[in-house]
Amino acid sequence: MIDALTNTPLFGVVLCIAAFYGASWVSRKCRSPLVNPLLVGAAVAILFLQATGIPLEKFNTGADMIAMLVAPATAALAVSIYRQIEVLKRNFLPIVGGSLVGALTAMGSVTLMCKLMGLDDQLFASLLPKSVTTAIALELSTGRGGLGSITALATLVTGVTGAVFAPLWIKLFRIKSPVAQGVAIGVSSHAVGTTKAITIGDVQGAMSGIAIGVAGLLTGFLSLLFG
Amino acid sequence: MKIIGQIGILLGVCLVGEGISYLLPFPFPASVIAMLLLLGLMVWKILRPEQMEETAGFLTKNMSLLFMPVSVGILESLDIIRQSGLQIVVICIVSTFLTFTATAFTVGWLMKLQEKIGKGDKPND
Repeated sequence: MIDALTNTPLFGVVLCIAAFYGASWVSRKCRSPLVNPLLVGAAVAILFLQATGIPLEKFNTGADMIAMLVAPATAALAVSIYRQIEVLKRNFLPIVGGSLVGALTAMGSVTLMCKLMGLDDQLFASLLPKSVTTAIALELSTGRGGLGSITALATLVTGVTGAVFAPLWIKLFRIKSPVAQGVAIGVSSHAVGTTKAITIGDVQGAMSGIAIGVAGLLTGFLSLLFG
Repeated sequence: MKIIGQIGILLGVCLVGEGISYLLPFPFPASVIAMLLLLGLMVWKILRPEQMEETAGFLTKNMSLLFMPVSVGILESLDIIRQSGLQIVVICIVSTFLTFTATAFTVGWLMKLQEKIGKGDKPND
């Protein structure tokens, strides 16, 4: 019976959706960025697999079908970027300049800390692109020998960090400009941070959204220079 | 039929992206190339964003779900987490802080610069 249920790809697909959907519901109730749907959902699915002893391979036959949609979803980001193209044109210099400095700071600081802590090449490759949106980070990481799951986790921790602390940092450093607030959130903590930026203000939300795309692209090009 | 067309365009662009990524002399993500291609199609008015609305909206709004598989895959790397989990978290937090401040100050400075140079067109909004 168990075999019949887990031998079909449907098992992985249903487990992904069920765990994520449940976690989204809990996250809406809690309203804390720490209770992130992906974080909680993945934890629930992992605990389920561990508790039942169902091997990861059986989960993956279905999960792979969901993962296959990451690439088209990344491409689809172009539509969101295009919708903001007027705002991007008007603030081209601050957005692109800020994203460039931010992307360099992200990769530079990760490189430096990995060296200081003596982490190996695989971990370095997994962490280097972790400030950009997960879809792009994953491809940049696995493309140079990183582990996708470590990158996904680090990207999530990065996003949650930004969503939790950005309002504090804005006050601490007296960042007055809504554009600066938004771009800084988007570059440093991608889509997870953007959900927070939207609650701070419309300009912040839009800027953060644009910065995800710009920083993602720049990081793709810049990562050719690192390592 | 409309949605089928959208899915077809999107997957077609991704496939072309894979091809270009293979041909490039340096490693560059196929999905980012596909993103640039799709952006190009809209900028050059070959495609209107409304023509992609339903499918693109559905995928980008539910993107987090798509990362469930790779996140659950952490099961295979539990040793790494046990060994270097703390370092990974510290790196993430510190670099997020540095990236945020560097970006915020650069944007603030560039906006002042932009105001000084071109007084006519106002930035912001």
